[in-house]
Amino acid sequence: MADNATSEHTRKILVGRVGAAHGLRGQVRINSFTASPLSIADYSPLLTDRDGLTLTITKSRLAKNVVIAKLKGIDDRTSAEILNGVELFVPRNKLPEPDNEDEFLHVDLIGLEARLDTGEVLGEVITVANYGAGDLLEVRKSGSETVLLPFTRAVVPEINIKDGFLLIVLPVEIEEEKER
Amino acid sequence: MSRSVWKGPYVDGYLLKKAEKVREGGRSEVIKTWSRRSTILPQFVGLTFGVYNGKKHIPVLISEDMIGHKFGEFSPTRTYYGHGADKRARRG
Repeated sequence: MADNATSEHTRKILVGRVGAAHGLRGQVRINSFTASPLSIADYSPLLTDRDGLTLTITKSRLAKNVVIAKLKGIDDRTSAEILNGVELFVPRNKLPEPDNEDEFLHVDLIGLEARLDTGEVLGEVITVANYGAGDLLEVRKSGSETVLLPFTRAVVPEINIKDGFLLIVLPVEIEEEKER
Repeated sequence: MSRSVWKGPYVDGYLLKKAEKVREGGRSEVIKTWSRRSTILPQFVGLTFGVYNGKKHIPVLISEDMIGHKFGEFSPTRTYYGHGADKRARRG
């Protein structure tokens, strides 16, 4: 159990991907996946998918939807070009903890087992979406069928990240009656 | 060109009746609807609609800010998942 907790805490979270080189002085374009694109620099040094390679962002600015970054030790275009495609990670324990008990990191929710109040397993949380009307949990049932559920206290009364499950109370659905 | 004001907001009649019924019942039910074209009215605030996106019904909890918009605006027909990274979800 302790081992599980440790590995969960040091789990690597994908926060960005290095793109093409930018200019002649070793700058690179980074596709940032963080809530605020520039906040990727706050997590430096960043782990990568290449053995032994860590990258530190020393300077960054936003250009449209990509971050133009200067990396420590990368001073020319040739070195910057080699980094194209490198994925950037941070350990889970470096991400700031949510401010209150009703706030959760997407990475903590994704992968949790969704259990019904009857004890039956509904499926697994595969993504957290927000289309402008509150957060939604997408749960994959057996097979490829998925169901979207509102992320509210009424529908999700209990979340137990430590034990890897959340409790779901399925809302009653009623269909509109068309009058012709 | 925008819709003439004298016509009032467009909303399918059966949706109004169903919303009224659910509100009177005081139950927390999801009203499944295919009417993406209907305007969100003040009497819908607090209710949850399952708005069809061509594949499934997306739960839409109506808040005051949504009044005047159409149901379809909150139920995209094309989805892009993206990455979680440090993004947060708030339980409502």
